[in-house]
Amino acid sequence: MAETRTRARWLVLLAAIGPGVLTSMAGNDAGGISTYSVAGAQFGYRMLWLIPVMTMQLALVQETVTRMGAVTGKGFSALIREKFGVRPTLIAMALLLFSNIATSVSEFAGIAAATEVLGVSRFVTVPVAAFVVWLLVVRGSYRNVEKILLTLSAVFVAYLAAMVLAKPDWAQVARAMVVPSFAGSREYVLLLIALVGTTVAPWMQFFQQANIVDKGVTAEELGPQRVDVFAGTVAAGIVAWAIVVTTGTVLHPQGIEITDAAAAAVALAPVAGDYATTLFAVGLASASLLAACVLPLTAAYAVCEAFGWERGIDRSWFEAPAFNGIYTFVIVFGAAFILIPGLDLIAIMVFSQAVGGILLPFLLIYMMRIVNDRRIMGTYVNGAIYNTVSWATIVVMIALTAALVAYTAIG
Amino acid sequence: MIYLSRMLGKPVVDTTGSEIGTINDIAIVTGEIFPRVTSLAFLGPDKTPFMLSWRKYVDDFDGERIRLNVAAKDIRFSYLQPDEVLLHRDLLNKQIVDTQGMKVVRVNDLKLSESRNQLRLLGAEVGLRGILRGIHPSLERAAAWVTRTAGRELHENLIAWNYMDLLDRDLSHVKLSVTHKRLHELHPADVADILEQLSPGQRARVFEHLDDAQAAETISLLEDEYQADVVGDLSERRASDLLAEMDPDDAADVIGDLPYDKAERLLRLMGVDDSRAIRGLLGYREKTAGGIMTPEVTTITEGMTVQEVIDFLRAEAAEHESIYYIYVVEDERHLAGVVSLRDLIMSAPDVHVSQIVQREVITVHADDDQEDVAETMSKYDLLALPVIDETGKLLGIVTVDDALEVMEEESAEDLALATGSVRQWESGAFGWLGRRSGWLVVWLVLGVGAALVLSAFEDTLAGFVSVVFFIPLVLRMSEDISDHSLAVLIEAGSPEECRPFGRQLLVDSAAGLALGVVSGLIAFALLELLGATLEAAIAIAVAAALSIALMAVLGGVVPYLALKPDGSGWRAPSVLVSTGIAALGMAVYLVLAQVLHEAIRL
Repeated sequence: MAETRTRARWLVLLAAIGPGVLTSMAGNDAGGISTYSVAGAQFGYRMLWLIPVMTMQLALVQETVTRMGAVTGKGFSALIREKFGVRPTLIAMALLLFSNIATSVSEFAGIAAATEVLGVSRFVTVPVAAFVVWLLVVRGSYRNVEKILLTLSAVFVAYLAAMVLAKPDWAQVARAMVVPSFAGSREYVLLLIALVGTTVAPWMQFFQQANIVDKGVTAEELGPQRVDVFAGTVAAGIVAWAIVVTTGTVLHPQGIEITDAAAAAVALAPVAGDYATTLFAVGLASASLLAACVLPLTAAYAVCEAFGWERGIDRSWFEAPAFNGIYTFVIVFGAAFILIPGLDLIAIMVFSQAVGGILLPFLLIYMMRIVNDRRIMGTYVNGAIYNTVSWATIVVMIALTAALVAYTAIG
Repeated sequence: MIYLSRMLGKPVVDTTGSEIGTINDIAIVTGEIFPRVTSLAFLGPDKTPFMLSWRKYVDDFDGERIRLNVAAKDIRFSYLQPDEVLLHRDLLNKQIVDTQGMKVVRVNDLKLSESRNQLRLLGAEVGLRGILRGIHPSLERAAAWVTRTAGRELHENLIAWNYMDLLDRDLSHVKLSVTHKRLHELHPADVADILEQLSPGQRARVFEHLDDAQAAETISLLEDEYQADVVGDLSERRASDLLAEMDPDDAADVIGDLPYDKAERLLRLMGVDDSRAIRGLLGYREKTAGGIMTPEVTTITEGMTVQEVIDFLRAEAAEHESIYYIYVVEDERHLAGVVSLRDLIMSAPDVHVSQIVQREVITVHADDDQEDVAETMSKYDLLALPVIDETGKLLGIVTVDDALEVMEEESAEDLALATGSVRQWESGAFGWLGRRSGWLVVWLVLGVGAALVLSAFEDTLAGFVSVVFFIPLVLRMSEDISDHSLAVLIEAGSPEECRPFGRQLLVDSAAGLALGVVSGLIAFALLELLGATLEAAIAIAVAAALSIALMAVLGGVVPYLALKPDGSGWRAPSVLVSTGIAALGMAVYLVLAQVLHEAIRL
């Protein structure tokens, strides 16, 4: 009897797995991986202590939107529209759409760079990837898409393998995890900002909440869903950690300077072997592909929900022209842009992060105001302690993001 | 006309002319088709909310401000009454169900009308106009002007109060309107349509308000892909009750899509008779007579009198799906004949069944294809058709509603050929979704092909840029031409109904040539104006003219080639045809332009 009950509880947990893991994993996209690689290459293990902090901050935001979705049964953009009206919604949606397009471009850039490391031309892989992504949603029911995406996120194990191949000094790694280490240099501050900024991207909140709503999670079922959120953020943290350790072990002692993830993959070969390069590139490609699936979907869903247009994976072109139009446009634009010759891919990644950075403060403040509205959340509003921690985190994040945007603007 | 979005934030002034606050919300009283505005909510100094009676204190609203008929100090403030709904708080920006259009929509604005000092709610604006006005009124005016200039009208999309149902606020204590059409008063088929547009949470909320009979009927009318979801979200007790309430064939349909464990549990929760009937049906394959039949069938024996049969029907068969035919069976339920309700009523009460029974019964076997079943029913004009096994034992009947559903599926498949999407029902939601967009994928591939065609002419394009100006023209023409040929296809249905081939060819060639010449002349004139070289202008104009003429001829001929000789369908869907014509037209245009350009220059 006891045994069956334990089993049943496990099943409940398994059923809940999905949204949180998927969102966090997709959050480790091309931009994120590049930032982690650079952090490791430039400063070795010195930034490792930041990773638990980043994980906590991500968990906080994701838990909040999960609760909002479960309690209201509505997406984030619907709540923004209902609480703040048309004009703020329009601005938020325009920024979200723009940021998702820019980020999609950077994901396809990641696919291009990673597959070129593996020896396949981007003129083959980018169109194929775009087509696959498009097909996945046009052909799929959401349940199946989720399964495919979850499988895709499992390829992140590649980073763990790459890390083991790099043979890190575990004692040093353990020490760096717990001892905060600062450097006064401008590079260090910039990277710190970039690390924090890349962890929480605007689209993640929309995607997470839409997923919860789509799954039909109710407030009573929040428990297992929170486990899912925390499992996802921890897994994402581990991936980030593995990347920093890998490049920190291999590239930092040699003094090899890199600017993005593909360069890191190539630089791994002489020291850690060809397998490490392949694993690293495969990881980058699948991470980019995963995010490239999620971004157009999120943009289309959020915009249509905000304005009350038909939406959903299982709606045809005729039933939901706006949804399918936005979705297709984001993919096609993202993929086509990358194929323009002589493009500065790194500049694109930096730019997309900057646009996300501008949007993020608005969204987080909206989020906090909604989650503390008793008319909307009932008894599920934030508690006093939770609120204090959230606001503190958000203020820090906003300050850092503002600094990043400012630095980017200055150059 | 007054819009809520234009009222909010406007000042409220009293008789002394001083401003006492800004408009925050207005309340209506429910229970009328066009509800009256009863209260005004405004924000006073320091954002303090106040509420006052509209009827007593409001003089008028002139579009810019609300004028009160008293001085601020004489106002007696009031509170929100239970039967009042606040337009801004409860309706604006919220989702509502349009119970007339059967859709879930978002309220973008609310339209009010003033008559004899009373403000009444006309309805909720759910269209684009409302969004634009909400952003800024000048945006709406600009959009309206643009569409008017283009010869169209930017219509308002208004839903009247009596066709709204609110999803969010729990208004169970508020009687919305005397004539209000609530969800549970709608036909279950309409409720099913609405449910499909809701999120699972909202769906569950609607189900709570339906009684068992309605809920059961609604579930059986949902599309297959939603049925399992909905049943999965209900409590098991309720789910099992609803399934027992449904006709066994519909219930078997739903249960067949559930995971095994869940299905077993639900079947165990219901009564023995219901679960046995459903289990019996689960054994038959989908898309066969067995799969769509119901085991609830009224049977009698030959020895009974007409009166006995009628009494038996009243007592026993009230629940059965169809009692228009009563089947006469011998031992072990072997089918011996049929008696119609009409025969029974027309006969004297003491006549024996054996005297009126009809021994020739049209039957089908349990594993017969459902299409054949439907055809048989339509051929013999039957309302129900008995299903028997190899030994002639009566297993159940297929009723006319199930047969109609089969026919609808068939016609949907036919229609799909024209639109280029294929609807398949048998292979589950995933396969169905996949095939529906299958042609879209082909279209995309062809689109990429067209892009490749363009890239093959890179040199032409680079050395001869003005050629690009007219690619859109050629494409636009090809689109019109394919539309035309599609129209011919749909209208004709079979080649015999078209004009004779030779004559059609002649007509299309003449029309196409005329169209081509005109386009060519315009192209030439434009190019000269733009300052292209004479050679280029001539080459492009001639190429455009010829390629457009060619496409026009193709457009006329395609129906003859694409239609199957027996008229049963088309060999290729229209997307393929139109993309093919476009690609060919463009290739011809580019090749001709280049060749001519070279030739003239030499």
